[in-house]
Amino acid sequence: MMKALSIFIAAFWAVVALTTTAVAQNGPLRIEITDGVIEPLPFAVPNFQPENAAAAELSQNIANVVAADLVGTGLFRQIGSDAFISQVSNFSAPIQYADWKAINAQALITGAVNVSGDGRMTVKFRVYDVFSNAELGDGLQFAGTTNGWRRMAHKVADAVYSRITGEGPYFDSRVVFVSETGPKNDRKKRLAIMDYDGQNTQFLTDSSAIVLAPRFSPTGDRVIYTSYASGFPRINVLDVASVGIRQLDMPGEMTFAPRFSQDGQSVVFSLSNGGNTDLYRMSFNGAAPTRLTSAPSIETAPSFSPDGQRIVFESDRSGSPQLYIMSANGGEAQRISFGEGRYGTPVWSPRGDLIAFTKQNKGRFHIGVMRTDGSEERLLTASFLDEGPSWSPNGRVIMFTRETQGANGAPALYSVDISGRNLKQVRTPNAASDPSWGPLQR
Amino acid sequence: MKPGAYISGIGHAGLIGWLFFGPGFSADPLPFEVTEVAVISAEDFAVLTAGGQPSDPVIETAQPVTPVEDTPPEPAPAPVTPTEPAAPELAPPAEDTPPDVSQITTPPTAEVEDTPPAEPPAPALGQSATLVTGATVRPKPRPAPRVAPTPVAQPEPDADVADVAQEQTNSNDAAEVPVEEQDAAAPEAAATEIVTEAEKDERTEDAQVSAAPVTSTRPTSRPNRPAPSTQTQTAEDTANSVNDAIAEALGDADTTPAPQQPTGPPLTGGERDALRVAVSQCWNVGSLSSEALATTVVVAMSMTQDGKPVTNSIQLKSFSGGSESAANKAYQAARRAIIRCGANGYNLPNEKYDQWQEIEMTFNPAKMRLK
Repeated sequence: MMKALSIFIAAFWAVVALTTTAVAQNGPLRIEITDGVIEPLPFAVPNFQPENAAAAELSQNIANVVAADLVGTGLFRQIGSDAFISQVSNFSAPIQYADWKAINAQALITGAVNVSGDGRMTVKFRVYDVFSNAELGDGLQFAGTTNGWRRMAHKVADAVYSRITGEGPYFDSRVVFVSETGPKNDRKKRLAIMDYDGQNTQFLTDSSAIVLAPRFSPTGDRVIYTSYASGFPRINVLDVASVGIRQLDMPGEMTFAPRFSQDGQSVVFSLSNGGNTDLYRMSFNGAAPTRLTSAPSIETAPSFSPDGQRIVFESDRSGSPQLYIMSANGGEAQRISFGEGRYGTPVWSPRGDLIAFTKQNKGRFHIGVMRTDGSEERLLTASFLDEGPSWSPNGRVIMFTRETQGANGAPALYSVDISGRNLKQVRTPNAASDPSWGPLQR
Repeated sequence: MKPGAYISGIGHAGLIGWLFFGPGFSADPLPFEVTEVAVISAEDFAVLTAGGQPSDPVIETAQPVTPVEDTPPEPAPAPVTPTEPAAPELAPPAEDTPPDVSQITTPPTAEVEDTPPAEPPAPALGQSATLVTGATVRPKPRPAPRVAPTPVAQPEPDADVADVAQEQTNSNDAAEVPVEEQDAAAPEAAATEIVTEAEKDERTEDAQVSAAPVTSTRPTSRPNRPAPSTQTQTAEDTANSVNDAIAEALGDADTTPAPQQPTGPPLTGGERDALRVAVSQCWNVGSLSSEALATTVVVAMSMTQDGKPVTNSIQLKSFSGGSESAANKAYQAARRAIIRCGANGYNLPNEKYDQWQEIEMTFNPAKMRLK
């Protein structure tokens, strides 16, 4: 018996030794990396090459706008030109990768600008992955007029951004908002439109009537908003190109909080009658509005899902304002917000995966995001008053209104990455509120 | 009845009587210790501690004196009144506060009267020994003079955090062009986690309340015992199974192609960790899309003997969790990390080159992704 046991033990250790050796020698060395760093990616943008004298100033301006767009995302860091070892003197010249590696430029963007005599211009560019010694995608060229040089710069930046990050573009887009002037107790409000970065602001309405909650149409050609021109809130539609305004003929004492459907053919809004507020949907073909909710509570701030099948909205049917989702044709609604505090102004992400909202809790306002089933709620901001989120066309950035406290407090537009990083103010000529981020321009 | 029966009966009766009335069943009970505590709420405790800790409060133990024979038991000495601490605002009901800690020794039964020792008076508030489940107040270090032997210049203040780096400037009236005063500022450095503005507030509040842990993780339950084998293994079976295992191990070794097998000792855990940390430092996921951050990629590469990756050999072997486009972006970030941090060669043991000549790295961003 003892002999058998001794044989067994010796044999066991022999097997263990053999097996261990076999495992250790089997195949390549395998390593799992789970921790990285989160930091802006360093890139270099030498001035774009002017191909003629008329392009000298524009080439520099375009390079600056491209760099500003990328840096503004918070995902990139520009390396100053004073650190460059080699210069790019020719758009077609080979790249000295070693020189750019030496200054840790992980991406290199080169470009050239040509301006013809008739006021037209072309911008071409290339992106390089420096540490791979290779071009990232093929070179591209845009053509347009010199007046639209900023748009062309945004398009270049969009292409670079998408090639490096994998996200969709959003720089070549516009934002409609409410521009505010005057003291707090006599604020003048006008609709205005600007580039996403606060440039090229233009006013769409005068300040004769209070305007609220402008919303872009899916194609960006129209804006729907609430106007107090008649003394009561009414929904107007504005054509961006002609600045023509049309008031929608709707029943009820007050109509407000409008938003376009995804196909742009109908609008969903709140209608108040006899002290009760419900959601309605109306087609632009003149058909009568369809009632979507019929609860003795306040239902407002509707927003369509990207596929147009569902609507997220705000309701106080449970006693406090919370978020609900229902079919785009009405029916049973499902509550999705269950956290502490009050939820409002939900907006469905263009990607369809998240819902942005305003949350009020413990005397603070937050902009947050959650999954469409209400899970994974994340608060991105916290301040005295944050509200009214609006998604960028690629669903990566949220713009919202932040108002400062006190008698001199004024609203301003801010943007934040959905990771919660890169919170920054969007510069506007005046105080601004209620942003609505439009689609990419065509 | 026989005399023997009488004697036996008397004897048993006497024994039983001695057991009942004598010291047979009157053994002294074992001394035991009783600890009485007062449980108060966390708010009460906070109020108590907020009013200032009593300076070394004296917790007097009430010790009933063992009475001496023929003398009445003396009452327990009254507890020493402790120094009155700074009176807290909120006073819990005094009558509910029992004596703090009492060690009671029951005197021998035969030598005691049936009167308990006098109750010591209830101590004043502030003497209570409380069972606190939360954090305890950290003692403040005694102040000590800290005088440097030589004066030291004040260090430069830290730069403010800003989107764009800027140098500090001072207004100079003599300058031709007036320069506006501004503080030095610099963008935030890299981070390994994303903290939103909302979370910053929460973390600050948490840090102000208490740094003590509130809860601890529950210990894992003991694993179930393995079910006993129902088969009886004979010596012959044992020998067969051992032979099978040896044959299997040798067979595995034989089936692997010889040229692909590294030889020599494997890398130690420390050596593998060093490589992992070196690559991690360059793996920047800050510019990746949400989908790319949800994609795990396996990257294969060959290494030169001086520890540098062969750039042309780096390839995407497999991916999971995202689209091909997202995997491509994730692969590019991984590739940059491998090349950047391996530019001067990774710190790998040269004598084990066979072990790391071929490497497969799995880049799993699960901990870094947006949720």
